Amino acid sequence: MTIWLFPGQPLQPEQATPDDADFHALADLCRAYCGYDLITYKPLAGHPLSHHTCLQIYGVAMSLYRARKLRNAGSVPSLISEHSLGIYAALAASGSIAEQDALELVSRIGSCMSQMGAVEEYSLGCPIGLPIDPVEAAARNNGVFVANYNTSRHFLLAGSKQGIEAALAECQAAGAFSVSSFPCEAPLHTPLMAEVRDDLAAIVAEYHIAEPQVPLIESFGQTCLTAATIPAFLVDELQQPVYWERTWKAVRATGFSRCREVGSGQALTKFNRWIDSEAGTL
Amino acid sequence: MSDELIPKVKQMIIDALRIDGMEADEIDSDAPLFGEGLGLDSIDALQLVVAMEKDFGVVVPDAATGTKVFASVRAMAAYIAENQK
Repeated sequence: MTIWLFPGQPLQPEQATPDDADFHALADLCRAYCGYDLITYKPLAGHPLSHHTCLQIYGVAMSLYRARKLRNAGSVPSLISEHSLGIYAALAASGSIAEQDALELVSRIGSCMSQMGAVEEYSLGCPIGLPIDPVEAAARNNGVFVANYNTSRHFLLAGSKQGIEAALAECQAAGAFSVSSFPCEAPLHTPLMAEVRDDLAAIVAEYHIAEPQVPLIESFGQTCLTAATIPAFLVDELQQPVYWERTWKAVRATGFSRCREVGSGQALTKFNRWIDSEAGTL
Repeated sequence: MSDELIPKVKQMIIDALRIDGMEADEIDSDAPLFGEGLGLDSIDALQLVVAMEKDFGVVVPDAATGTKVFASVRAMAAYIAENQK
């Protein structure tokens, strides 16, 4: 039994660019459906995609590329799971939407979300090493939110830039091993995303979503998505935190024998290593 | 004294980070662990902090100290030798 895990947005493109037929096929789809050049990492002329939207398209494209390579090598998933942005490529891998729809969706949703950044400055904050209680307290005290519960010691905060900086300072003072912040255009996975909810729902409603052919466990409530629940999930998940530790434990309970991280980087593999070492499952 | 710890530190890194297919001898004692070299990141750093405390009883209190300690295997061994009780 093989599990495919689709990671969230990468912080930056990988150093090496693949050069094969699958990558070039996906680069063609990116150009046609997003106005994005996967090879130069830049939008095409006349397509005003922000840096963050470009990274989101890149992340989905690389997941689709890695999924193609795995299939070519004979890997067939029995179960799929996703973290944040990973949902779009996960839906494609499950047969629920086409690759081009995954790319176009992330491009349109990313562009919609980026409008929030024109009005308010947002950030993501990453405190590492503290347990959840002081992290949640720091978030509450400064009007920001825990957006990702990745492991017992790895969290992602989202909210106003000022609030994030103050919350991270509080985490640092509470003994966090490290804190870091990243600019973003929207407070992803927080209730603040309700501001663009109707716009996102209108975008999602334009796509045909088929029943997943492979069970797909989502990272909020650890349920298996269906064609009926996917449209609402695509909108709601941006207002809800990602509970990765719970998700990985739910995936683990299925008793798989092989796990593949399908995308750019190894973040989920590292989170899983931490979770497993705490649980004594390795 | 700290050079004697180098093979143990390398094995700890391999075990803690579950680096498949790598032998301790393959890790350069002086290569940077983060960025280039082994290409570790902040998630790995915390895993190494926990492993160092468990295996050697040595605490790395914060990322600033970690930046110096995790500069290389040799730096880790020296820090352990200096701080081990």
